[in-house]
Parts: sequence; structure tokens; C-alpha cells
Amino acid sequence: MPLKSYETDLSARSWLLGAPQEGLALVRHFRIRKGEWPSSRDAPPQTLSNAPLVRSAAVLGTDLPGLRPRFEVEEGDLVAVGQVLFRDRKYPEVAAASPIAGRVASLDFGPRRTLSACIIEAEDTDPGATPPNKPDLGTARQTLLAKGVWPAFRTRPFGRMPAPSASPAAIVVNAVHAVPQAPNPVVVLADRQDAFRLGLQCLRRLTEGTVFVCQSPGPPLAADDTRTTCVAFSGSRASGLASTQIDRLCPASPQREVWTVGYQDVIAIGHLFATGEYRPDRVVAISGPAAKRPRLLRTCLGARIADLCVGETGEALSGDRISGRRAAFLGRFDDQITLLSRGRRTSRFASADRFSHHPRPLVPTRQLERALAIDIPAVPLLRALAVGDSEAASQLGCLSLVEEDVAALARHCTSGADYPRLLRRVLDELMEDAA
Amino acid sequence: MTWTGAPRPAGITLAQTVALVLPFAIVASSDVGRHALILLSAFIAALGWEALFGTLRKRGLSVHGVTTALIVATLCPPDIALWQVLVSVSLGVILGELVFGGRGFGFIHPATVSLALLMISFPQVQLPLPTQALALATLPGGVLLFTLGLISGRVLLATGLAVAAALVLQGHAIEPLAVATALAFGLVFLVADPVTAAATNVGRWAYGALAGGLIAIFSPTGEITSQAVIFAALMAGVFAPLIDHLAVLAHAYRWQRRHRA
Repeated sequence: MPLKSYETDLSARSWLLGAPQEGLALVRHFRIRKGEWPSSRDAPPQTLSNAPLVRSAAVLGTDLPGLRPRFEVEEGDLVAVGQVLFRDRKYPEVAAASPIAGRVASLDFGPRRTLSACIIEAEDTDPGATPPNKPDLGTARQTLLAKGVWPAFRTRPFGRMPAPSASPAAIVVNAVHAVPQAPNPVVVLADRQDAFRLGLQCLRRLTEGTVFVCQSPGPPLAADDTRTTCVAFSGSRASGLASTQIDRLCPASPQREVWTVGYQDVIAIGHLFATGEYRPDRVVAISGPAAKRPRLLRTCLGARIADLCVGETGEALSGDRISGRRAAFLGRFDDQITLLSRGRRTSRFASADRFSHHPRPLVPTRQLERALAIDIPAVPLLRALAVGDSEAASQLGCLSLVEEDVAALARHCTSGADYPRLLRRVLDELMEDAA
Repeated sequence: MTWTGAPRPAGITLAQTVALVLPFAIVASSDVGRHALILLSAFIAALGWEALFGTLRKRGLSVHGVTTALIVATLCPPDIALWQVLVSVSLGVILGELVFGGRGFGFIHPATVSLALLMISFPQVQLPLPTQALALATLPGGVLLFTLGLISGRVLLATGLAVAAALVLQGHAIEPLAVATALAFGLVFLVADPVTAAATNVGRWAYGALAGGLIAIFSPTGEITSQAVIFAALMAGVFAPLIDHLAVLAHAYRWQRRHRA
């Protein structure tokens, strides 16, 4: 397929990457051998269908950790798609937008005035008569902040939403198809190529460094130029984790922030700059052992899971089997819904009740060594996390990790400790020290 | 898969017990009654103290002492007095693991401590030399533990190579078969025990090299005895945390250099 590039600088490209070839294999290919290997069980057929109408959707506090909202709407108000619901008290530039058109059903605060959830119930609203203004790429940052796209970015280290004025050393776009149970980015991107390319162009305005497009081996998803590079990742599940990609491409440190963003959010950004309209689409895969009909659906961010899983009876996790959590609404960074048979004890719950008993020993097995795709000695890391020793953990390199990376370790550890939660505690402590 | 599939310490004990049954059966076949009594005494001591500590600490009952008892009973000579077994296993289990909080929280194997104390306290007790039958019987269990990821190939390899190198340096001729026979049981169950051995990959090489070197040093005649393996396992186990600490420091240094750029 011919790829139209916007800012191709052929001389620089050939200097960096060797002479360009037609129909080309990707230049750099990272094969990740450590980590869990995915199975193709219950994988959905990679064909897109439109989701049943979502009756409600939510913006969740768990996706905006630490954010304290100042609401711009009230319960009962009618809102349009993309309308700003609230802004952060600390950084008023950061806004969160409504994923669907409807009526604000509830605005709930969590502990310390953080957000718990903001639920919108779908209702037909009068679409605004005036067509939205097409934003200018020159004001990329302001537009992303104002339109509520900013929460799509995550930083390494710490795995948080970046500050509005921060400038990353690089941006990594994660479009790796690492588990067969997730939607294949190639399928999702098939009719969204233009938006994706425009989105990448917008990302280049946010950083002085490189925009890396991480994908599975195959034809490049974007045209390379001086500051956009397609890189292939394959292998274990960990090849699809942003932390692994950042570790291989441009290691992050507190002085050198790197951002990551999902390919579906890049499409949304491109769409925003092409039309002026923020369309928070999300393609999700429904799979899992209890899924009667595994399938791909195009729906919206924060959709109510029960509305998507019509005809299914299983217990739904937002996310995959390893790091997914029981939820009523789709998480911001999840593109999978995993259905488990009811009554089966599952991840977070099982680990919580096991840990409350008393701590069990940590037996250093080979499985623990092989669970982390980043070069960090697993057992010393787990010991540091278990006792909350943030200094030792940061020396070992825990700043390269976020919760989803250590979920696999928790599965192989005899101690039964909830390492994702322990890691978050240590990262929060380190973030406070760094601030 | 969900986390409910995560391994549990009891499962690891079960695997180690299964691996130990055949070696003990081979040793016991020479004098079943006597060895059964020795095993029973070791069981009583190991499990009795474990139950007492478990009750005092208000924890559930555990049976990790089974492996300790099996290892001690396999290596003990048949003519040992039963009270000696009771005393040494009691001290080994208490000092080797229970004072630290139980199996997995300490840093040396209670069976190593038991056997070392037995030999220090009762010098007249002579451990039998490992036989080829014992080494062969260790093999299936070793393969099982290796497959389950409970012993590290790095430790096995490093120890074997270090023993050979140190023996050559001391001017002894090496008979690979004799060395393997003498090493097999102690290497698999004492030196390579996952809790005792170093827990970093670099550390495992160093730990194995240290254990192997010590085995050769403790065997001045060139013939590797059970005593040499046990004392080497004890010394190497004591140094394993230090080795890990150094490996972590080296890793932190490399990590910092990589992330400073």
C-alpha cells in the first residue's frame, strides 16, 4: 500500500537507517524472549463490527490517578461528545471530555477529593449546528489539553499523566499486537491511515526527540522520516508492554521523561486535527474462557461493559487475564474485555485474601527470572517491593516499570503478594521525592 | 490464567519431597528397619518443632520439615544413635529456618545445618560415601526440580566446573564419573536449593564457583566426601546473601550508567 509521507527527508533517512527500500522490512526488530508467552486460546476473529448501543459510559478516577476535578457540569446536565466535564485543580489546562452524548448521571468523589467516577447516560442531544473549528497543528499542545486528549499520555518513569508543560525525550506509540486476544492494530488502522499519520505529525510537535511507532513485524504502519521511526517488536506478551519498548528504544529516567500513547489514541488525535471533533472511539476485543462469541467491537472510551457483552454471562475483567481488573466500565488503557466463568476466584480478589492471612516466603524460582523482560534481577526487586524499600527498588531499576509489568511476577511468586500495588506505592513515594 | 495458579510454598515442598523419595529408598534398601527408625526420629524432630513454632506464631501447620528429615536420613550412617539424630535435626531446624520465620525466610538449608552440627558435635560419626546407586536415584528428582525451575542450571554448572578446576589445581587426577557420583545428591538438594543459593543470575555463577572451590579444598585427598559437600554448602550458603548484594550493586552501577545518558 503506498504510504504518503508528510515530512520525509530522504537524505537524513538514508543516513540514519540505510537506503530506503520499496515494500521494505522494518529496520529494527526487537524479539522479546522473556516474559509470559501468549496462547491463542479464545482469540476473536479479527473482523470489526459495530458495538450495540452503549447506554452509559464513564470517566474513571482510576485512569486519572491523583487528579482532583473541578467540575464544569452538574448532575442532570446534557453534554455532547467531547464536551469538557471537568478540569484538574492543580493544572486547569488539563481537561477531561465526555465520551458520549447524554445526561450526566452522577459525579462521585473518591478519597481526598479525587475523582471516583463521572457517569454519563446516553441520550439524544441536539448536535451543535456550528461545525467545530479545525485546530491548527501549531497549537498541538493547547488543543490536546483543551479537548481532553491529554490523559491518553503516560510517562516513564512513574506511569502517570504528564505535566502540561513537560517535554518528553521521545514518544513511543504502542501498536504491537502481542496477544491474539487483543484487536490487531493493522485491522483497526485499515481505514484510519490518514488520521493515524496526522496524529503522528501532531506528536512530533510535542517532543524534540523521536516519535517511535512500535508495531508487530510487517509492513510499516507509518513512513519513516528524521523524527519518526517504525520499530518492530515481537515475542512474548511483554513485547506489547510500553515499558519494554521504552527500555529498548530510549531508557527513561527522572531527568529524561519518555511518554507512551496507544495507537487508538493517535487515531483520535489525528481525527481531532483533521475535523476539529474529538471522537473517543475504542476498538475492544471480547474474549476469555467464558466468552461464547469472541469478537471485536468498535465502541467508545469508558463504555459500560455490560452493554458491550450482550448475550454473555461470564464475569468481565477490563483488560487481559494477567493485569485485568473487575470493572463496570472499560478502562482508559484497555482494549480487551476478558470474560471468566462466574464463581472462579480471580486475580485481585484472590491475591488480596491470600495476602491478608500472613506473608508467605518468596522462593526464587526460574519462572520469576523469566517473567520480567527488562534487565532487572527479579528476586532482589520483589524483596525490595515487599518491604517497601524505595531506594533499593529504584537502584534496581523499578522506575522503568509500571503495574502491568510486574503483574506477571505476581503470578509466579509463592509469596502471593500484590506486587502491582506494592510497586505503585514505591513509585508514588519516589515521585514525591523527585518533586 | 489467573493468579490463583501461582505456586505455593507447600507445592514446592511437595515437589522436593517427591524428588527425595527415590534417593532415600535406595539408601534405605540396605537396612529398611534401621533407616525407617532414623527417618522417623528426624520426622519427629523436624515436624515437632515446626508445629510448636507454628502454633506459637499462630500460623497454620506446615510440613516443610519433611524434606529436611529425608535429606538427613539419606545421608546418615545406619549405625547412628537415634538421640543424635533427634538433637542434630532439632538444632538444625530451629537455627537454620525456624528462628528466621520458617522455610523460605532463612538463608541456609536446615538439613545442611543439622548435618554440619552432627559432624562437629559427634566426630566419631562417619557419613557413608555416596554410592553410584544414590547418584543415579538423584537423577530423576534433579530433572524434576530443574524442570520446575527449583534448581538453577547456573549453580550446577558452576559448582561442577569449579570442583574440577580446583581439583586439577591441587594436582589431583579427575575421574568425571567419581566426581559426579560424589557430588550428585549434595549438589542437587543442599547446594542448589533455591532458598539457600544466590538469587541473582550473576550471583549464581559466583555462588556455584565458591561452593565448588570449597568442596575441592575440603577434600584434600582428592576424594570428595559427604562432609566436604556439607561444609562447603554451609559456607557458600552463608556467603550467598553477600554475593547477591555485590551482584545487585554491580547491576545498579550498570543501570545508572545506562540511564544517565
